[in-house]
Amino acid sequence: MEENFALIWKHVTDVIRLEVSADTFQRWFKAIQLLAADESHITLRVPNNIYQLWIETNYMPLLQTAIEKVLGSPRKVRFTISDSPEKLELETDDAANPPAKAARSGGSAAKQSATNGQAAAGAANGMNPRNTFDSFVVGMNNQFAHAAALAVAQTPAKTYNPLFVYGGVGLGKTHLMHAIGQQVASTKAGSKVMYLSSEKFTNEFIDAIQNSKLVRFRNRYRQADVLLIDDIQFLAGKERSQEEFFHTFNTLFDGHKQIILSSDRPPSEIQNLEGRLVSRFEWGLTAELQPPDIETRMAILRKKAQLLQVKLDNSIFEFLAQRIKTNVRRLEGALMRVASFASLSGRELTPDNIEHLLKDILQEEARRTVTIEQIQRKVAEHYDVRLADMTSKRRPANIAFPRQVAMYLARELTKASLSEIGEAFGGRDHGTVLHGHRLVKERMQTDEKVRQTVAFLVNQLNR
Amino acid sequence: MKFSVSKEKLLEGLQTVQNVVSTRTTLPILSNVLLHAADGQLRFTTSDLDVGIRSGIEAAIDKPGATTLPARRLLSIVRELPASEITVEVDSKNVASIRSGPSFFKILGLPEEEFPPLAKFENAKTFTLRQKDLRDALKKTSYAISTDETRYVLNGILFSFKDNKLTLVATDGRRLALVDIELELPRSNECDVIIPSKAIGEVQRLLTDEGDIKLSIGENQVAFEVGGTLLVSKLIEGNYPNYRQVIPGETKERITLERVIFHDAVHRVSLLASEKSNSVKLIFTKNNLEIAANTPDVGEARESLAIAYKGRDMAIAFNPEFLMAPLKNLAVDEVFLDLIDEMSPGVVRIQSPFLYVIMPMRIS
Repeated sequence: MEENFALIWKHVTDVIRLEVSADTFQRWFKAIQLLAADESHITLRVPNNIYQLWIETNYMPLLQTAIEKVLGSPRKVRFTISDSPEKLELETDDAANPPAKAARSGGSAAKQSATNGQAAAGAANGMNPRNTFDSFVVGMNNQFAHAAALAVAQTPAKTYNPLFVYGGVGLGKTHLMHAIGQQVASTKAGSKVMYLSSEKFTNEFIDAIQNSKLVRFRNRYRQADVLLIDDIQFLAGKERSQEEFFHTFNTLFDGHKQIILSSDRPPSEIQNLEGRLVSRFEWGLTAELQPPDIETRMAILRKKAQLLQVKLDNSIFEFLAQRIKTNVRRLEGALMRVASFASLSGRELTPDNIEHLLKDILQEEARRTVTIEQIQRKVAEHYDVRLADMTSKRRPANIAFPRQVAMYLARELTKASLSEIGEAFGGRDHGTVLHGHRLVKERMQTDEKVRQTVAFLVNQLNR
Repeated sequence: MKFSVSKEKLLEGLQTVQNVVSTRTTLPILSNVLLHAADGQLRFTTSDLDVGIRSGIEAAIDKPGATTLPARRLLSIVRELPASEITVEVDSKNVASIRSGPSFFKILGLPEEEFPPLAKFENAKTFTLRQKDLRDALKKTSYAISTDETRYVLNGILFSFKDNKLTLVATDGRRLALVDIELELPRSNECDVIIPSKAIGEVQRLLTDEGDIKLSIGENQVAFEVGGTLLVSKLIEGNYPNYRQVIPGETKERITLERVIFHDAVHRVSLLASEKSNSVKLIFTKNNLEIAANTPDVGEARESLAIAYKGRDMAIAFNPEFLMAPLKNLAVDEVFLDLIDEMSPGVVRIQSPFLYVIMPMRIS
């Protein structure tokens, strides 16, 4: 086995020798021995600790390239400092430093390139380096939350504390949190940014109780400068975790440290959450992330296509933006599917092809489309008539016209047939629906107000 | 406790010890200054548990005693007091009454027993240096201290007492600064200690160009006594890396440069160095050095220096800040830049025992 390692190391040093001067090679690489190599790690023995420091700081990328060339895939590099007789003369041996060594070599892999500081730090923090403020598309749906997040990232604990961001699935909560965390970590050197999900908080808390390491757990999270907790709604029903979080929150808040939380619903709607936590969450700023409107969806698709470096026809963007309305993740996923279909199969993208390709996504979306009842409710609300009036036989114009508008919208926005719509409006005849539809259409052309109202209602229903 | 003192002296005493007080304190008493009045002397002590500093001034002591008062607050009050004579009286509850002319201030303090004492030194090794020498040596090395907290061993300067000299070394992995001071050293006093950068900063503030400074090195503490002020600091535990390994053994080309001109040229050119690949290129050709930098989509900068150079054509790139740092902190007219090739570290040397190893950057 040893000869095998020696051979591997020889190949690696052959690659390195080409890249550095003879003096450098002699000085730094000649004395290294390969101790162990497996699927994920490679362990090098070095004569003393300056080797680890100097190589990690200056020659890591080179070493990694050489390893990848010889072994076919990258490895994490670990250093052990030898106690061998060659280096006895001046230096004390490093037997006293094993814990420090282990900590350093664990960190050595993540600290490979000094230039990639942010990416490495981000990944180590548990935050996705691709989620930054630059890659976040701002629209009317998230402008407020975005502005608040930016303010918090620029001056933590001085603007909005705590910041509570909520919104449905796939609308950008985690993206925004990662963006804040990474911005603070990169601009304010030395500040402790901690990002975790509330589930992780709970798990670690339970672990700490079981292993009697509560003090360490507390110190860890109460020393943060910025604490970001994702999906705080998972604390619901967990009394002890809530209590622990309550104390953590207080300590950080009193120490003027920034707290940022995200959830799928506003604080008041989280069930089984202690009142004192709810009031604390509402103490600062609560911002909602709403589903994007069509322009924002187009912008998101364009930006994503740019990032993926794919060129697609505008009609495809329009198709996707129109059909997928609720969830940005779904939207991006659909784009990926379409883009890879085009590049992998080489076939042309026609509306039929795409329809077929995305049929499961579109079905999911269809379930969320407008129902006749929703239309009736919205129209009734807008015209200030009762919902019952929609289905009643009353004929006065102030009731009949809204009913006709509702029928028009039902025809336009749903796939229901005339008969079905008629049924929904109190057993009316299909002809009535058709008449109502035609009437509203004509009115829209002559009366500006009617046109505006209908457009507004369409917008409201389509959001 | 009761004493009277002049405003200037009080201000001076407080300012000497102010810096050690950290803004983020774990214990409230650490943001206070310990005042001890006895024998015609008023002593101030501050600490942040790693570094502590004690200084004294003359004062008219009416009643001896001790207390601790909020350091920042006290300083800002004393600074604004109108008259030049200040009388301070502290009662048994540690409430201080400060009178000066028509002004009266009352501030609450904490009892002196709670203040953490400065470390005692038993069996300490003592060394005496000229302030000028130490000040000079620290100036030449302190900029190279690492700020990366994960490598705590490097967050300070190595003081190596050996072979009748004191060697100071500071490095952050990408450059290393080293200075020697001649010193009488009995064998028994030889040791290696790492002094943290906060203490170094404080010592630099206290040093003047006249007189001596006394160092005492204990188990894991160091004390600096200079001009009536005592600075005590914890040492950094751990083994400093074998820095000698870093210093290149040979030199291929030695280029003599005029320090100020070279520094200014690098500084000007570095204005156009991009933020991503922060580097300036040094291109050596016969009797000419061209310093160049560029940022894509912004522009480029170049400057030529006439030098005495007969070696082969060579181009090597360095981080401009790292290159300028030693030049800024040296006082000589001429420096020597010793190079091997574009992939090996360069060394800046001068006539006296100083060297600065700097790693080159990749030229893409």
